[in-house]
Formats: sequence, structure tokens, C-alpha cells
Amino acid sequence: MRNRIAVYICHCGSNIADHVDVEAVRDAIAGEEGVVLAKTTMFACSDSAQSEMIEDIRENDIDGMVVASCSPKLHLFTFRSVAERAGLNPYNYVQANIREQVSWAHSDKPEQATEKALQIVRMAVAKARLSAPLTPPSITSENVILVVGAGVAGMRAAIELADMGSKVYLIEKDHYVGGRAGQWGNLHVPGVKGEGLVKDLYEEVAGREGITLFTGTEVISSSGSVGSFELTLRRSPRYFNPKGIDTSGSEFTGKVRKAVEACPEELDDDYDFGLTARKAFRHSHPGQFPDLPSVDMQACTRCGKCAEILEGVDLEQEEQRVTVKAGAVILCTGFSPYQPQEGEFGYGEIENVISLQEFRRMMALSGSGGRLLFRGRPVNTISYIYCVGSRQLEGDNKYCSRYCCSAAIHTANLVREKFPGVRNFHFHRGIRSYGKLEELYEISCSEGDIYFQSRDDELPEVIKEDGETIVKIADILTSGRDIEVGADLVVLVTGMVPRDNSRLVDVLKVPVGRDRFFNEVHPKLKPVEVVIDGIYIAGACQSPRNINESMNSALSAAVKSNSLVSSGEIELEPTMAAVDRSLCGWCGECARACPFDAIVREQYEGKEVAAVNEANCKGCGMCLPVCPVNAIQLTGSSDAEIESMIEALIDLK
Amino acid sequence: MIWMSTITTGWGVISMARIDHTFASRIEMFGGIDFTACYNCGHCTAVCPLVEENASFPRRMLRYTILGMEEDIQSSLDPWLCYYCGDCSETCPRQSNPGEIMMSLRRYLTSVYDWTGFSRRFYTSRKWEFGSIAAVAAVVVLLFALFLRPTADPSGLINADGGVKINSFVEGMSSETFVSVIEIGDWVMAAIVSFFLLSNIFNMYLKVVVRNRKVSPPLSLYVKEAWNLVYHFATQIKLSKCSDRTYWGLHWLLMSGYTIMFTMIVLFLPWFQVEKIHPIYHPQRFLGYYATFGLLLGLIVWSVQRIRKSGEKHRYSHSTDWLFLVMLFLTTLTGILVHIFRISGMVPQTYYTFVIHLAILVPMLVVEVPFSKWSHLAYRPFATYFYNLINSARMLEEKKKK
Repeated sequence: MRNRIAVYICHCGSNIADHVDVEAVRDAIAGEEGVVLAKTTMFACSDSAQSEMIEDIRENDIDGMVVASCSPKLHLFTFRSVAERAGLNPYNYVQANIREQVSWAHSDKPEQATEKALQIVRMAVAKARLSAPLTPPSITSENVILVVGAGVAGMRAAIELADMGSKVYLIEKDHYVGGRAGQWGNLHVPGVKGEGLVKDLYEEVAGREGITLFTGTEVISSSGSVGSFELTLRRSPRYFNPKGIDTSGSEFTGKVRKAVEACPEELDDDYDFGLTARKAFRHSHPGQFPDLPSVDMQACTRCGKCAEILEGVDLEQEEQRVTVKAGAVILCTGFSPYQPQEGEFGYGEIENVISLQEFRRMMALSGSGGRLLFRGRPVNTISYIYCVGSRQLEGDNKYCSRYCCSAAIHTANLVREKFPGVRNFHFHRGIRSYGKLEELYEISCSEGDIYFQSRDDELPEVIKEDGETIVKIADILTSGRDIEVGADLVVLVTGMVPRDNSRLVDVLKVPVGRDRFFNEVHPKLKPVEVVIDGIYIAGACQSPRNINESMNSALSAAVKSNSLVSSGEIELEPTMAAVDRSLCGWCGECARACPFDAIVREQYEGKEVAAVNEANCKGCGMCLPVCPVNAIQLTGSSDAEIESMIEALIDLK
Repeated sequence: MIWMSTITTGWGVISMARIDHTFASRIEMFGGIDFTACYNCGHCTAVCPLVEENASFPRRMLRYTILGMEEDIQSSLDPWLCYYCGDCSETCPRQSNPGEIMMSLRRYLTSVYDWTGFSRRFYTSRKWEFGSIAAVAAVVVLLFALFLRPTADPSGLINADGGVKINSFVEGMSSETFVSVIEIGDWVMAAIVSFFLLSNIFNMYLKVVVRNRKVSPPLSLYVKEAWNLVYHFATQIKLSKCSDRTYWGLHWLLMSGYTIMFTMIVLFLPWFQVEKIHPIYHPQRFLGYYATFGLLLGLIVWSVQRIRKSGEKHRYSHSTDWLFLVMLFLTTLTGILVHIFRISGMVPQTYYTFVIHLAILVPMLVVEVPFSKWSHLAYRPFATYFYNLINSARMLEEKKKK
């Protein structure tokens, strides 16, 4: 029981003092049981006030402290730190919120406000009296990080982690790293191509000893928690073993080409969005690494023709399972382009309607010079329809895909550069070429691209009339007039959707938002963290974004995860659930109520009881009310503390 | 916001419009410059002091130009309701020169109203521009050389007051005959100019009132609104609403000078072009000096401003702008010289300068008035007339509906 408690009532300038009689609150609380010191202060958070508190605590042998000021969201940690600096256990500090909950809310009723403030302070004092000094528990952690997804974000994170001294497992579901960046050809950074970017990153990854790269690999199960996750990986075979083979020479490349030619199984190349065909036996595209062949076993008939030509082909290779231990996990699983529905703006029905990604790939694959052709017909006019699959009025994708305005404008600029004379028409719903990307819009406008704007509920239409494809729009910029534009090619500016991550969500319990992207804890305060400790997200798996932004978040996630695990020890919040094992008889209710998988079953003196996995527990308290025998308490908010607060509240009269 | 409205704004009639992106490059030949950067913010329309509920420009015209909505432009009066103060171009955050687009559209519309097709050639081809002026000048010189050769004997051509007898150059031709010949020439020229100009105005009327409009003004309104023509021609009051009012003053001075001179030359030639040199206070001399002063002042100030490119209004000069200024300046200058030579008694100088004077004046009037920049003297008041006519007709129709 604390009985030497110091109470500070803050004026907060005029914020509190104008509506609450702080002196009266101070006078009333001064006589409260256990209070040895009660003061008012102009700004409790000011340096001078903090120094005074430290002095008070030391001189008066204070063992509990209450500051009645603003929301604990703002200054709980400030005053905990004051307590700590004065030698007081920070968990003996209690904050009373008399600003947001009193002065701001009741500025019209000063008398009642003062009364309420006193009640709140009395409750805080009551809690302080029963508060226990707590020591944060700590757990050991592996300085190892598993990065899932070897696109540009994943590789960037892995490189950074390795440089900071963490050991990295970088895993990639496909047999080639690079993700999608390599598909797009010229990026908006002058002179940089997606495939070049991937190559640079891959070479850096390959040059670092701290990184172990697994291609063709997925996480299939996980146990443990922050500091020591145990992850089982499934490695699907490449059906090619490069051991003992010189894969760098032109002789090897020639053989691979022959083997590809020999393969009888042909299918659409999904990397090229079906613009080209590939074989079941395939080689990497430029922008995909490593530079080794692989076999798509779903299409392969095991005819063995490739193996006859190329040494190292092994169609008997088998799937492997590997278990790794990691202190933290970073997810960089990227995005998929939105696939327009059949008939959406004529997609799939009118032959010259394609998606932006298809068009980008087409541009990347086409040589320069000459004329722009589509299905053999010259293209002189291109219409871009924006926000396809994004900002849907009906449909689930309410979000803006963010990258696509700039990407479409950049594409239009590229087309104009590569094929002078081609005219671009943009049908948008408000251009969002934010930040430096505005420059692209500037160029596009001054070079003569024409922009039309429609309302969200009056989208443009693509129709075919007398063999001509026409885009119709009620153009806001022309007094809402109905305008028709003939187009040789219609490009649907399709947004981003998350990749199918259902297995990963299942295995790692990563929270997914309504938009189906991974959800961070807080967009500003914890932008790369998820509610599961030790799991981080980066890149387009979190929300639509461009390569720059993916890189930024990859670096954030790398630094955050490294700082978590690199010391070998992780300090936890002590405010978590604690089981009274003598009372517990394991009914499992608490485990079912726990959203974080923090309750496990264990043996204790011959019976089954619940135990708390400290690394997973968040102290949310969901398990408390469901316990039929009241065997669980929340440290820092025990029944006794809460009850004493209620007592203090109803006693006042 | 006006442009958010899906119903008609102004008098636009809703119809499906097909865009024509080649139009923008055609307008560039009429002087349009860097206008494609426009992002439709509407600053230009917001700052324009002349914008009214039914006349919203220049944003809309700029948009029509970019999209190539020719029919809408051709049926619009907006370009004529703009008097180019340049505030829009100054304010434009994209440096899209909306003011210059309105100017280019006036040139374009002049060529559209002209059914002969000559105006378009004049505006878009330097060869046609200078060639036509030179051709008419050559005709004038040729007529003089063939029929009005100067007498070999200059004696007797000096008045008692020491001045040159301006109507007695031609051998065997009396003073009265000479004046009549010149006067007939005047009337022939006036008839040609009026025929083309009036037919072009009729064409304008067809495009802006008859076709493409949902109003049909009753005959009484035509009469009722006719005062607009005289009032706006005489006062140019709309120009005074532009931010730079000194420009209006200067323009009015030049216009009145030009009108007085034109009236004296065409309507009162026997009174104006007399052998005798009148005393200085005589209205003939007094009005002549006023007109000369007005013309000179305007021409000098604007030439300097165009050379210095001072202000948005003078930043860009189409070759026809310069041709207009130079021709009028040379006309004025040769007119002054004729006058000086006359009172100084210099006979051959007077004659040859007189011929040169006409060789500049005639092509200027014949070519520029119906086909080029001079035509604005008619199109502007007519535009205001048509504008008020349509507005009144609409109000009348709305009243009837109620």
C-alpha cells in the first residue's frame, strides 16, 4: 500500500484552469488518505515542473505519484520517465485526465467540471495507493530475420538488415526474385529500368554473406513468438541443379535456349500478361534472377527432352522442408494488378482495350523507333481510363491505388517520346500526381496530352461503333458536355490489389484490413508494425504504393526489426495477464477469448492450467471476464485497483 | 461552380461533340501559343473583369480550342466580348496565355466569317499577306501612271497663298474632274469593302444567331437592340471595363481620329480636298489635325509597347498586327508629308507623296477592313448587338413560359 503519494494538478495554461477550479481540487485532494503532497502547476510537462517533481519525490520519500493533466496518450510516458529519474518505479505513477475528459468537455459548466475533476483525481489516487512496482520482463531473441518476398522491397530490406548485422533468410515463392518491378521497363527516374533495378539489388543480395536466399519457397507453418519464431518452409524444386556446372558462359545459355525450344509444352507467359508464350521448361526474363532455368511442373509432362540437351536438369528433384528460427519476420509480398472484369470498360469484349500493366509490358517488350502497333494495326491515339478497380463506388476497392495516376501519365510521356505523333487522351476523376510526380503531369500537359474529367457516378463509356472504338464522357471540364473521342487503343489504368496471401494470413495471423491489404498498427505512430509483435510489413502488400515508397517502408521495417532483435533481448510491457494457478482448472475459455494466441495450456501440480505466453500477451484483458473462477488478473489493472477506484468514485457523496 | 453544371451554360446547346485534336495546331497559325498546358483551373475566368453570367470566358474558349470543338467556337461571341486586358494571361498558373488564345480566336473567327476564304490565307500565309497588299498597291500606282500622269509644266500649280493646287496635277483635267475621279474611286473602294464586310457580318449573324441557337428573336427586338451598334461603336464602353483604362482612352482617340478622317475622305471629299489652303482655325484643318494627332499617338505608343513586349497584351505580335500598325503609320506619315509639301509649295514632292499615300491607304482599307484586323471595328459592336439581342430574346421566352 502506497501512503506517501504526491499529487499535481495542472493548469495547462488556461486549458484546464479556465473551467476547473484547480486550487479547489488541490485543497480537496490534500486531505485524502495517503496524500502527503498536493500542488498545482502551470504546465506539468514543462522542464521546470518536471525538475520540481523529481526534487519533491526525492525529498519527501514519495512512493506514489498522480498528475492530473491531459490524456495519458500524450504524457503518460513523460511522467513515468519523471518517476523513473527520481528513483520511483514508473508503474507507481497514475495519470488523471482532467483536460480532454473534463475541462474541454464541460467548459459550459465550471462547477460540475470541478466536481468531476476531483472525482477523477480521487480515483487516480486510489489506484496509486494500490499500485505495485513492476519490472518489465524480458525474453531472449535471435538476431535473425525472415523476409518473405524477394521483390524490390524484400531485397532492399534484406540488404539493409545484413549490413546492420542481422542474419537474413530471404524467401521467394517464385523460382526467380524481382517481383514485378522488372516488368515495367523504364521507370520514371530517368535512365533507370525496372530490370536494371532488380539486377542491382540481386547482385547486392548475392554479395552478402548474411543473406540466405531461398527461391521457390513458402512459409507453411509457424510457432513461437517474437524473439524466437519457428518457421517451417516448403521448398519446391526447381528441377535443375547447377552444382558443378558453369552457368555463366554463352555455351550454357545456348544449351538452355535449345532446351526451351525442345520443350513441347507451351502456355501463356504470365510474366508478360499473356502477350507472349513460354514453355514448361523456362528461363528467366531479363529482370528475373537467378539466371537459371526452371521447370513449371504443372505444365510439364516429364518427356525429358530438356534433360537430353541440358546437363543438370533433374526432374526427380523432390520438395524439401526446412525449419528456421527467426526473431522477427518482415512481409514484403507485394501486389497484383487489378484484373478488370469481363466487359468493364469493354475489357475482354473490345479487342483494343487493355490494362495499364499489359500496355506497360507491351511497351517494355517493343523495340524503339517505327510505329506503335497493336494487333498489327497502327496506333495514333490512345485513351487512358483512370481509377479502374480503384475508388469504386460499388465494389470493394474503395481505396485509391495511389501509383496509377503518375504511372499512366509517365506511360503517356514514354509513348510520346518513343513514338512521336501518338496522341494521348486521359479520362480521369481528378489527377493525383502528388509530390515530385507532378512534374510528369506538367510535361504531359505542355506536350499536348488532353485531359477529361468525369464524376464518380458518371464514368466514361467505351463503345464500338462502325468498327471504331470510342470513349464517351460527360466532361466536367467542358461544362459537363458529352464528348466522344475515337481511340486506336484504350488503356485501363488498373490499380493494385493484394496478392493472394491467405496461407500467410493463416500461418502468421497477420491482420488484414477491409481492403484486404495487411494492416499496420497505426499509420503514423507504428507504420510498419502489425499487432503481432515481431512481424513487420513493407511495400505494396500493406497498401498501394510506388517503388520509391516501397523502398522507404522496406528500410523502416528493416531498421525497426533489427533494433528489436539485435540486442538478443526484448523487453516487454509488464502490464499483462497473470494466471492464479491454484484457482485455474483449465476450461479453455480464456484461450478462446484471446485474440493474440497468448494463452497456452500447461501442467501444474498434477492438473492442467492456463499459462500466459508473455511475448504474445498485449494486456488487452479479453481473458478476464470470461474466466468462471476469476483466476486471471491483469497486472497493473488488478481487480483490487479497479474496485478501489470505483469505491473512490461512489464514496464522494 | 459554373462548369460543374451538366445543363447548358451560356447559350450552349447540348449535343454530342467529337473532338478534333488537330484544331489546336491550326489555331497556332493564328497566333495561339503554349496553350495546351492549361489544366482548367479557371483562374482566367475568375479574374476577367468582363465576364458576365451569359458570357463566361476565356477558360471555356480555351477548352474548346484544345478539344477542337469548332462548331462551338464558331457559334460563340465570347472572343469578341473579350477586349484583351491580359489579366488572365498574367494570372494563369500554367502560362497558357488565355488572352492570346482569345486574340487568336478573333483572327480565326474573322477568317471563318469570311466566305471568300481570302482571310484565312491572309492570316496563315505570309506570301498571301504581303502579296495581296503589294498587288493592290500596284493597281493604284498603275492607275495613276496610266490615267493620272502629272503635267510636265509645274507652273501655275501654286496658289496665291503659296500652297500647291492639289487637284490640278493632271494635264488637261480640271480641278473638279480630278476630285470627282478620286471621289468615284473612293466610292468604288467603299462599295467593295462594304460588300465584303457586310456579307461577312451576315455570315457571322448566321453562325451566332440563326444556327446553333435555341432562341429566335422577334423582329421588334432587332430594332429595339439596334442602339447597341451605334452606342458601342461610338463609346467602346466595354473596353473601359478592362483593368487598364488609359488603353481605352488611347484607343478611343485613335478610333475617333480614324473615323473623322475616313468620313472626310469618303463622304466629304470635295469639301476636304480643295485647292485653297484654309486658315488654321477652319474646321477642315482643325479636324484633320485632330485626326492626325489621335492616329499618331496611338500608333507610336502601341508600336513601342509591341517592340518592348510590355504587358501581356503586347507580348505576342502576329505578323498581321505589325502589318496593321505599319500600314496605318505609313498612311498617316505620307498624309502628313503631303500636307507639309503642299503648304511649302513643293509641287512634284506633293504629287508623288500623294500617289504613295493612296498606294498605302487603298490596300490597307481594301484588304484589312473586310478581311483582317480592321474588321474588328464592325465585329465588336455587332457582337455586342447580337449578344444583347440573344439575351433579350431568352428573357422574353422565359417570361412567356412563366
